[in-house]
This record gives sequence, structure tokens and C-alpha cells, in this order.
Amino acid sequence: MTAPIAALGRGTTRRVARVGALARFTLRIFGGWTTLTGGGRRVVRRVLLNQIWFTALQAVPIIIVLGGILSYLVISQAVRELGRLNATELIGTLIVVAIVRELGPLLTAIAVAGRSGTAIAAELATNTVMGEVRTLEGIGVDPFQYLVLPRFVAAVVSVTTLILLFDIVAVLAGLGAAATNGMSSARYFDIVLRSVSFRDVWLTLGKGAVFGAVIGIVPSFHGLGVRRGPTGVPVASSEAVLVSIVLIFIFSALFVAVLR
Amino acid sequence: MTAPLVLEDVALSGAKPATITLTVPPHRAIAVVGEAATGLDQLAPIILGLRRPASGRALVFGEEVGAMGRRAALAFRRRVGYVPEGDGLLQNLSLEDNIALPLQFAGDLSPRELHGRLRVVRAAFRLTNAGGLRPADADDEQRRRAAFARALVFDPSLVILAQPFDGIGTRAASELLDLARGGETVDGPRRTVFVTSQALAERLRARIEDHYRIVGGTLRPES
Repeated sequence: MTAPIAALGRGTTRRVARVGALARFTLRIFGGWTTLTGGGRRVVRRVLLNQIWFTALQAVPIIIVLGGILSYLVISQAVRELGRLNATELIGTLIVVAIVRELGPLLTAIAVAGRSGTAIAAELATNTVMGEVRTLEGIGVDPFQYLVLPRFVAAVVSVTTLILLFDIVAVLAGLGAAATNGMSSARYFDIVLRSVSFRDVWLTLGKGAVFGAVIGIVPSFHGLGVRRGPTGVPVASSEAVLVSIVLIFIFSALFVAVLR
Repeated sequence: MTAPLVLEDVALSGAKPATITLTVPPHRAIAVVGEAATGLDQLAPIILGLRRPASGRALVFGEEVGAMGRRAALAFRRRVGYVPEGDGLLQNLSLEDNIALPLQFAGDLSPRELHGRLRVVRAAFRLTNAGGLRPADADDEQRRRAAFARALVFDPSLVILAQPFDGIGTRAASELLDLARGGETVDGPRRTVFVTSQALAERLRARIEDHYRIVGGTLRPES
């Protein structure tokens, strides 16, 4: 009779312990930053540049495609429908609120989580399974400094810049959609620029930093936590991406709830 | 003089578990041989504080690495050369970058000093032409040479070698063991070397002063 309650309690305890472990893991990343030597900084910088190359630069085409198509679809529909209601002024709000502030960060983060989050988790899980992480500790190299820190910083920088790129592409694609539906570019930019504020820019950058941190931390946590040999690598990767995407949605909702 | 390595009733876990008590005197090479079922592969990680023994403790230069804080343990391990089982090289780095990694993280060597040190190490371990290879593109011997070079790059006074000669010929193994031991010079004596292995070729045995075998769960000296 009490078995289901006991099972529920065990599950809850396990999840709470996991959250605690994730918090400790995050603190270790920041601790690793403060104790880097000059030589260590040079190595971390090199890994960081590699990670930015993979996470940001190689993702540019997909972000341009996503931002362009999404914006074109939304704005071309909106111009037509809002034009019928004589409310085309609202496309500025639509671009800024729906695309720049909400969908841009969300879709960019999901794309990066799917692409780079999987790669981070799989790579670190493989490092762990192959005994490389333990060897690093054995030769006096902190795996947090060498493996996690550059991936964390690269994810924050990459997601933030990719969100900005997404937004710029979305605004430009919106212009194309508006033009094909009879709106002049001067009027389009007038409406959009009147709707955008510095707060939107800061919110977008803030989301980029938070979502980037999630993508830097969660896949690293799952990758280094793998315990079941080679069969644990795909499990760690899929769990990492799933948890990252759920957390990105939760933080997105928190942004709306707290900073509206 | 403090013994570089002391094992006090260190309990290993396995199908035929063993308990190890041993004092390794300075400047000597010691080999512990035993079956995999005795848990022999756990010994090196326990010594370096990477794994907790079921009971007992390992002291390195009089200190228990496993009881240290994480950061202190990382710094302490740089005083010990370590060749892990299976070499432990990072697959996405070249052999030379693998050797350089602990040096770079340890301190503030300028790039010029670092390259100078690496040039000497590469030459000593006969990796001059193979330094740019990734581990997957190198042969077993080159990988093992790189693992030894990485372990000795700080010129430690104690070297822990876990199954270090698997997959390489006796001639190369002898050469690497000699490099690990270091020379008797006016600046200092030979290094203390602790080897764990499931078997050792006669030519290697001759280069090691003290031999022990795990029999019936305990350590017995061998002639």
C-alpha cells in the first residue's frame, strides 16, 4: 500500500539530489575560471575558439534559414490579415514581441541545443568512458577547466550572437514579406523601429546568456556523469538535449513572468 | 627519509580480492604482478586518490592524496608521474599536445620555454617525427612513448606505471622503463618507479629491483 508513496519519495529525492549535483557542477565551472594559470588560459582560449567555430560559425546557415523562413511566413500572413483590419501598425509589435523577443531566442537556443548540446554531451561522455577524464585528473589537469569551461563560455557567446543574427535576419525577411504584400520599406522600418526598445535588446541578450549557459552546463553535466560504458553515451546525449530544451522553455517562461 | 609510497592494508575489490601492504623505498623500482581478478588495476588510481579503497590507505610522500581537497589533489598529482592503463591520451589532441597539456596547465611557462622543453622531451622519447600525429594515427609504441613522455615531463621523483608495457615489444618497453628510471647523475639519484602488471618479460624484470606477486589475497615478495 505504501509502496507507490515510497517510490514517489525515492524518485523525488533522486531528482532533488540531481538538481543539487547540477548546482555544485555549475559552481565548479566558476571556481575553475578563478584558478586558471597563464598557460592554462592559453589552452582554454584555444579550445574556446574551436568551440565557437563549431557552435556559432557553423550554425550560421541554419539560423539564417530558420529566421528568414519563420519571419517571412509570419509577416506575410500578418500584413495581409492586419491590412484587412487597417491595423498594419501592429506588425511592428508582432516582429518585436513575437519574433525578436520570444521566438528568436527560443528557436535559436533549441537549434543550438539540438546541434551543439548533443555534440558536447557525446564528446564528454566518450572522454569519460575512454578514461580520459580520469587520466586528466591523474596528471593534474582539472577537467572542469580544460573540458567544461571553454564549452560553457563558447555556448554563452555563441547563443547570444546567433540570437542577434536570427533577429536581424528575421527583420530583413519581414521586410521582404511586407514588400511583396504592398508595404513600402520606409513604412516597414518606421513601424518596426518605433516598436523596438533598448529593453528588447537587453532582454534578448539576457536570454542569450541564460540559454547559452543552459546549453553549456547541462550537456557537460550529463556527459561527465555517464557511468554505463559506451552504451551510456547515446543515453547521456539524448537526456542532455531533452533536459536542456525543457530548461530553455522554463527560463523563457520565467523571463515573461518576471520581466514583463 | 620518508618513503615515497606506502600502502597500508589497501583492500582491492574483485573476484579474488587482495589486501596490499607495502613500503616503496626511494630510488628503487618495484613491480607488483597479479591477475586481473585481484583488483590490481585499482592500485594506481587508489595511490593517486582517483579511487577510494574498500579499506586502508595509500600515502604518497607521506600524504594521503584521496583525503585532500580536489584542487590540492590536482596540484599534488603533478609531483607524480603517471602512465595509466591503456595510455589515457586524449584522442582529439596530437601526441605533442598531449605531452604539453599538463605543463601548460601547471604554470606560466612562456610559449618559448614550453617549446624548448617539448623539443627536449620529444627527442628523448624518439617522437620527433611523430609528435604531430593524433593517437588514432599513431602505432601502439608511439602512443606509449607519448604517455611516458607526458608522465615524465615534470621530471617527477616518483613514477606510477599501470600495465605500462601492454602491446609493445620488450626492446621498446626496456627503453621506456630506463627513461622512467632516469640516470644516476651528480644532480640526483634515479627515480622511484612503481609498476603494476599482469606479467613482466624477463628482460624487464632484470631492470626492476624488487618484485612482488599477489597470491591468495596478499602480497608476497619474489626472488
